[in-house]
Amino acid sequence: MNWDAHIDATAALIALPVAPERRAGVARFLELAAEMAATLDRVELDDGGLDLAPVFAPPDLAGGAR
Amino acid sequence: MNDPTSPWASAAEIAHAVRSGACSAAAVAEAALERVRRANPRLNAYTEVTADRARAEAAALDAARARGADLGPLVGVPFAVKNLFDVAGLPTRAGSRINRDRPPATADAALVARMNAAGAVLVGALNMGEYAYDFTGENAHDGACRNPHDPERMSGGSSSGCGAATAAGLAPVSLGSDTNGSLRVPAALCGVFSLKPTYGRLSRAGTFPFVDSLDHVGPCARGARDLALAYDALQGPDPRDHACAGRAVEPTLDRLAEGAGGLRIGLLGGWFAGNARPEARRAATAAADALGEVAEVAPVTLDAAEAGRAAAYLITNAESAAFHLDRLRTRAEDFDPDTRDRFLAGALLPAAWIVKAQRVRRWWLGQALAAFRSADVLIAAATPCPAPALGARRLTLGGAEVALRPALGLLAQPFSCIGLPVVTVPVFALGAPPLGVQLVGPPWREDLCLRVAAWLEARGIAAAHPPPAAAA
Repeated sequence: MNWDAHIDATAALIALPVAPERRAGVARFLELAAEMAATLDRVELDDGGLDLAPVFAPPDLAGGAR
Repeated sequence: MNDPTSPWASAAEIAHAVRSGACSAAAVAEAALERVRRANPRLNAYTEVTADRARAEAAALDAARARGADLGPLVGVPFAVKNLFDVAGLPTRAGSRINRDRPPATADAALVARMNAAGAVLVGALNMGEYAYDFTGENAHDGACRNPHDPERMSGGSSSGCGAATAAGLAPVSLGSDTNGSLRVPAALCGVFSLKPTYGRLSRAGTFPFVDSLDHVGPCARGARDLALAYDALQGPDPRDHACAGRAVEPTLDRLAEGAGGLRIGLLGGWFAGNARPEARRAATAAADALGEVAEVAPVTLDAAEAGRAAAYLITNAESAAFHLDRLRTRAEDFDPDTRDRFLAGALLPAAWIVKAQRVRRWWLGQALAAFRSADVLIAAATPCPAPALGARRLTLGGAEVALRPALGLLAQPFSCIGLPVVTVPVFALGAPPLGVQLVGPPWREDLCLRVAAWLEARGIAAAHPPPAAAA
């Protein structure tokens, strides 16, 4: 994987400076994250699961009747 | 019964002595402050000592007793908190250099206030890994927190000061946080007890976040009874923490006597055993074997934990980096070099990985809950190995050499990702390097974990042996 190209593209997109001396370290952690993502890829999930997004639960405000 | 001013007095013993008038809160506080003054230069567990506040709180408790007022269950018990808890008058540094520029906190964190309300006396704030992204206890800004059992070894992190201070007799109770194992790793490596409750059980209001969707807070102590005593005082709803579940207090202290008899215990093998060195596996097996005298013990394989751990890693990396993005943009130079590159990488992850991680997290929860159909408590080693030497970067595990920092939390990480309660108990021989064992319960069943911990302690299997130098 060419992590330099990934860093160039994504860091520019979010205006995050990555100093030249940090690129090797950042690439190492991107590689580790990619290994984790590969582990997740091996898990087969049911398309019918209601888990595509974390559920946001609005608070139940006392006295909120309209 | 220990002298209430001794380093090894339990919280229960101190509270009993102060309540009965056998000892003043002021005497207990002075003894604690003197111990911190002497030991902290060697251990670097405290980053701030709140001596004036401790003396004022102790004096107020003694005055309250003199006038016959009600005294709380932790009356006179010294405690300290990881420095990501707000303490009025101190900047909440969260292990960082950057946060020192923030104005001092104007109020205490919710759990600091609850400890005070129960009669405990705040002695100080504790060292931690920067922004809690750490399993080692090393910190570029404050220096490494050292292991009381061997100051040349890591304390574990990120609640490094909790493990070290409580192990060294500098705080019978300490409060820390656990996002991926940050209470369990230092508790194991320093040889003390910790409780990471169910996600949402204890209020995080007034703490500096790391990963909101994974952050837990909880106590560290030298015995199961003290853990339950503190935990009971900390419970209760709090609308200031959106994740706090609002459950009523479910006291555990009086349930400890129910013991472990008749419980179903699952000893985790497979991935958990394969990622633990022999001595760590032996600690878990020793606990399971002992429990076999009164409980039904069976092997359990839960290898979905590997994917659960991967999900936790990615969620942590992405969510924490997004939280710190402005600081990474403007003050990257001020980060600890050991967290900076990880945070930077976390800001650059593909969204598809994170969404998949959230789905796998849900799937992993289902796998773990299925295991609880045949077990009440699951057992696994808390760390793959005892405390590594300070400065170590690599670890040999399962025949492979891996990066030490993420690997120290390998066995703890899967459980915080799905919010399960875990008590860590110290299982090691006097004079040997400490190791810990995780007692994992189903959601909201901290009581089961604490009962098993108390039984193991009563049986002599779990014990927070004093560090060799301190015991000599």
